[in-house]
Amino acid sequence: MQTSETTIKVGYGDNFKEIKVILPAGDIPPYQPEDKLELIGKSPNRADAFAKVTGRAKYTYDQQLPGMIFGRILRSPHANADIKNIDLTEAKAMPGVRAALSYVDVFGRSAIRYAGQGIAAIAADTEQQAEDALAAIRVDYDVLPFCVTKEASMKDTAPQVGRGDQENVVPARRRRGGRGPSVEEVDAALKSAETVIEETFNTQVQTHSPLETHGVVCDWNGVDLVCYASTQATFGVQREMTSGRGSVKAASAKVLGEFVGGGFGSKFSAGSEGVACALLAKDAGKPVHLMLDRREEQTDAGNRPDAKQNIKLGLNKDGEIVAYKVKNWGTPGSGGGGAGANNDSIYNLGLKHKEELTVRTNCGGARALRAPGWPQGVFALESIMDMAAEKAGVDPIDFRRKHDSHPIRIAQYGIARERSEWDTKRNVVAGSGKGTVKTGLGIGSSLWFQRGGRGAAVRVVIHKNGVVDVRNGAQDIGTGTRTIIGMCAAEELGIDMSNVRTFIGNTDDPRGPGSGGSTTAPTLTPAARLAGFRAKEALLAVVAEAKGWKAEELDLQTAQVVRKDGAALPEKLSFNDACGLMVEDNIDITEDRRPNYDGFTGTNAGVQIAEVEVDTETGQVRVKKITAVSDCGKVINAKLAESQVRGGVIGGVGYGLFERRIMDRGEGRMVNANLESYKVVGMADCPEIDVVFLDVYMGHNNTNVMGLGEPPKVATAAAIANAVYNATGARVTSLPITPRRVLEALARKEKRG
Amino acid sequence: MSNTTTLTLRINDEDVTVAFPTHHTLLEVLREECRLTGTKHGCELGECGTCTVLVDGKPMLSCLVLAAEMDGHEIRTVEGMMIGNTLHPLQQAFADLGAAQCGYCTPGILMAAEALLEANPDPTREQIQEALAGNLCRCTGYIKILEAVEWAAATQRGEDTPPAKESIYGSPHAATKGE
Repeated sequence: MQTSETTIKVGYGDNFKEIKVILPAGDIPPYQPEDKLELIGKSPNRADAFAKVTGRAKYTYDQQLPGMIFGRILRSPHANADIKNIDLTEAKAMPGVRAALSYVDVFGRSAIRYAGQGIAAIAADTEQQAEDALAAIRVDYDVLPFCVTKEASMKDTAPQVGRGDQENVVPARRRRGGRGPSVEEVDAALKSAETVIEETFNTQVQTHSPLETHGVVCDWNGVDLVCYASTQATFGVQREMTSGRGSVKAASAKVLGEFVGGGFGSKFSAGSEGVACALLAKDAGKPVHLMLDRREEQTDAGNRPDAKQNIKLGLNKDGEIVAYKVKNWGTPGSGGGGAGANNDSIYNLGLKHKEELTVRTNCGGARALRAPGWPQGVFALESIMDMAAEKAGVDPIDFRRKHDSHPIRIAQYGIARERSEWDTKRNVVAGSGKGTVKTGLGIGSSLWFQRGGRGAAVRVVIHKNGVVDVRNGAQDIGTGTRTIIGMCAAEELGIDMSNVRTFIGNTDDPRGPGSGGSTTAPTLTPAARLAGFRAKEALLAVVAEAKGWKAEELDLQTAQVVRKDGAALPEKLSFNDACGLMVEDNIDITEDRRPNYDGFTGTNAGVQIAEVEVDTETGQVRVKKITAVSDCGKVINAKLAESQVRGGVIGGVGYGLFERRIMDRGEGRMVNANLESYKVVGMADCPEIDVVFLDVYMGHNNTNVMGLGEPPKVATAAAIANAVYNATGARVTSLPITPRRVLEALARKEKRG
Repeated sequence: MSNTTTLTLRINDEDVTVAFPTHHTLLEVLREECRLTGTKHGCELGECGTCTVLVDGKPMLSCLVLAAEMDGHEIRTVEGMMIGNTLHPLQQAFADLGAAQCGYCTPGILMAAEALLEANPDPTREQIQEALAGNLCRCTGYIKILEAVEWAAATQRGEDTPPAKESIYGSPHAATKGE
């Protein structure tokens, strides 16, 4: 099959254009605005709704294999230490113990760089026996001084977090892309600006807190390693178990993750606990169940790094931004990973310069968390945008539009303005409302960029009895992957979801991506649609052969074989009866995800407006409503897309108002490693969330789909912060916006007069 | 070794005789001895609500009670919720409104909601929020959960109030609203 040039329509509303694209070999053109779609864009229930509401859905935690034993991990009480010796002898002799290993042996790691870091693992017949045996492990530590905050780590006299020549403060790796203006050029532009606004913003460490903790159940069955994993990357875990790291090196590994209780970015890797579990299971000759408890989850399973962001923004006399200079500090914990904040995009910010520093601390390491780098950066960016708009004497939305050229976002401003009742509810003068409980509105925007890509395939099997199987080996962490791949195939086959079975979370099925960067839907839906289309062709060829009709004149619609031209066929033939005409047992088609091509834009936009109520006597902030105007290319399932947005928003509300990891500076441990004093948003805190989608024919792939998991989390905290300012006239420059910080900001405002 | 207790527990209208380590919680015994894994581990400290079951019709965190205390009590779990082969109105509403996302918190929330509707067939939004305040969800944004409980309550009262629809708009070619 050859590539082919074709003209497609891309855009939305009254903003469509025609572009010429080169369709990849074997691909079909994207959905077009005039297409009549029966399923796509509607809201069929989740394919796994029944399993989830009846308790039948089996998560990794729920696996109970014959002869299964339990693994537990010994963790360091010290924030900085070197292990001189680990003695497992006594522990191995404890009742019920079947296997034990030391992390020094397995990972070659004797340096302890945060409290809660794993040291050794034990598998025993019961969890209690494993716990008891942990207490019998003898560890000799060389305990070292530590620092658990950026501020402490940056002092000249600070203890070293790393080892060898690792410094505590290092420049972040430079981002790719062309060289921007020099610092001298940006300084000069700031110097000649009419007004310069400068502020420093601080954000906290946020943990993922998925309701199902991390963990695996490993079983060496004589042929290969079977690993049930609570993961957002089944194939990634398979790679870890078969190659390299931690010396598991299974000849082959089958990873199963049919149901995953949330991930939010923290569950890509099997983790050291996964490797330990596989090795314990091998040694014990029994399946081992090793799930982290909540404390372990909070301390050793990743987090969103904190950030300190100093921003200088220069305006010319026309109120246009001419220069933008940023210095960031962030801590990824003891690891060397990224802790950047995306605070210099979305808008046209004139001449820009950014310096980023990574500050190591003796804390658990960072991992991707739903839009890594963005909520913290956008909080700072949108705060200073608001300050600049006020300085320029321009409405905040108008000010943003003036500095925005995104073809989708410019339409979303208008929708957000209308739906949030911006012009009637917002205080023109911040803090001018009467009474002690004041309301206000604030805005934030987002940007995302995920079109999916190659390296995946979907398999569609039509059985003789009319049942259709749609299969991919990637996972559904709650996003709806299982449902939407079924829908994309079913749409092509002209059937509803009642006879479609979808299979997900098994690495024996075709390859799929890790669920990160919002890649899963744009990667898998085009392959599912193409496989459905090719399966339809195969079925219609069977029908044509059996009935003496012409296959090219036939189509499938509403579970019937029909003629494309609408004329009547000699006889009625249902989808099921058509399937019964097969001579072979089934039609079995696997199609690869084809490469992307040109489209409308390469990026999603998004605008959110927060409406808050602030009690100026107590400092309490209540979010009343979030208007979330979103886009993800073409919406496949409206109900699930809406659910993704609400989930992102609620995570953003928690980030804005409640959530923060608190470290004990004296002991070096996380104080609130639980779900009681680590506050996530609860039922009573939940605001009204008005979800609005702009349905965009994006191009790029045959379903027009862009990723949606992350974008809705980007702007929420920023919008809340701006709304708090609009309500009170006092700007809180640190997240979370606690009552104390609100009262302090009000006091500062009062002092200034 | 730990002591073992043997008890006949009344679970989902059935008598089940189980032997279990005396110090085990109801959560552990339900999942491990009774193989009823619909009730989930979330924190084992009474913080997240994921392990909620009904004991004599009242919601209880099964991670905080010992199974040995359950003699003579009626226990209900999510596995006992269906009415014959039909979903309970709460289960149906959660499925239809998409109130379960990753689904891990769903059984606990269904249990707490069932207890609420048994005690109060016509709760206000605030009463639902209060009854479910101990159940955390990290995925859904809660609103569909609240709407599902309201819808199920209305269904049980024999009222026909359609639930809120997805608010998709903004383009003449926009995705249609929910069915």
